[in-house]
Amino acid sequence: MKKQILLVGGRSKAKSLALSLLNKGYRVTIINDNYEDCIKLAEMKNLDVINGDGSKPFVLEDANASNADIVIALTSKDEDNLVICELCKKKFGIKKTVALVNDPKKTEFFYKMGIDSVVCAITAVTNIIEQQAFLDEMSNVIPIGEGRIQIAEVPIPGSSPIVGKKLWEINLPKEVIIGCVLRGNSTMIPRGDTRILAGDLLVLISDTKHEMEAIKELTGR
Amino acid sequence: MKIKLFENTSDYTVIIGCGRLGANIANTLSDEESNVLIIDKDKSSFRKLSPSYGGLMITGDGTDFDVLSDAQIEKATAVVVVTNNDNINVMIAQIAKEIFNVNHVIARLYDHEREFIYKEFNIDTICPAILSANEINKFLLRSSTKNEKSNHNKISMQKGVI
Repeated sequence: MKKQILLVGGRSKAKSLALSLLNKGYRVTIINDNYEDCIKLAEMKNLDVINGDGSKPFVLEDANASNADIVIALTSKDEDNLVICELCKKKFGIKKTVALVNDPKKTEFFYKMGIDSVVCAITAVTNIIEQQAFLDEMSNVIPIGEGRIQIAEVPIPGSSPIVGKKLWEINLPKEVIIGCVLRGNSTMIPRGDTRILAGDLLVLISDTKHEMEAIKELTGR
Repeated sequence: MKIKLFENTSDYTVIIGCGRLGANIANTLSDEESNVLIIDKDKSSFRKLSPSYGGLMITGDGTDFDVLSDAQIEKATAVVVVTNNDNINVMIAQIAKEIFNVNHVIARLYDHEREFIYKEFNIDTICPAILSANEINKFLLRSSTKNEKSNHNKISMQKGVI
């Protein structure tokens, strides 16, 4: 059976998310409390739209919430997103709940309240801007674990202070590891005694806070 | 700078939401010479407090962790959450309970369908609709028993006449 996804709130976010999920073959239901928005959304093919306040149990019931596999709360209010996810989890038994949170300080709290995945738009956007602005030399960054962990490719220029050093000689933060070294056509899983050469491409796994520090250490910039 | 609020006291109540209910509770507690602090995001709400109110006031968003820690909510013996939005009440009550480890949290809930969320977190709820319904039922019951009594009297009077 197709996976059922319930989207609650959010105008343009819900629309583009629904479009991409429908293309991937999911069944999507949207709950939105603005009637005009609902009419716009209902123009999309294969999409179920329900007009109502998603933080009310009877609206969720109308949307057949107990059959959904994933619920994603996208409203602009943190408290609404929290209540929607809690209702879906506890009353309707939805396994995976995802909430958008505006206040970065509340991310931890939302996890503590049992929400499976918390996405903070502000943190995500600032992280991306920071990367775009300062890390031109990085060709690829993949955020995982809700953006708390990053996998990045870091090319080592000849000017780098670590060229010729062994891995254990480099003063990297503890929260960072070098997972792989790409040298020419060969790939290596490095050990403490692996020597870094100019032109190497390092695959770095780090938590977001220490990424910048590590890259500075590696590239000397 | 952090001010020391109500140092060494065993009773300290924080009220969030200065509406009619919040202001009323604050006034009563203040009259009883309890330590009270009331939070509201709108400064003009505090006009509902009586002139003799002797507690503290903080203007700020009650869902903001910084505002709550400024109010030293973790030291409160009780937190009363009475804003006019159910979902905000749910969230603040849970923050108070789970982040600041407040023992006694009371929240108002207009829609009792969401009550079970509170039950799980051991938060006391007050639902105005249910309370009003009970009171109204009491009045109805009283007036119907009165009617019965008066009917009964009438009948017995009629019997007496016969």
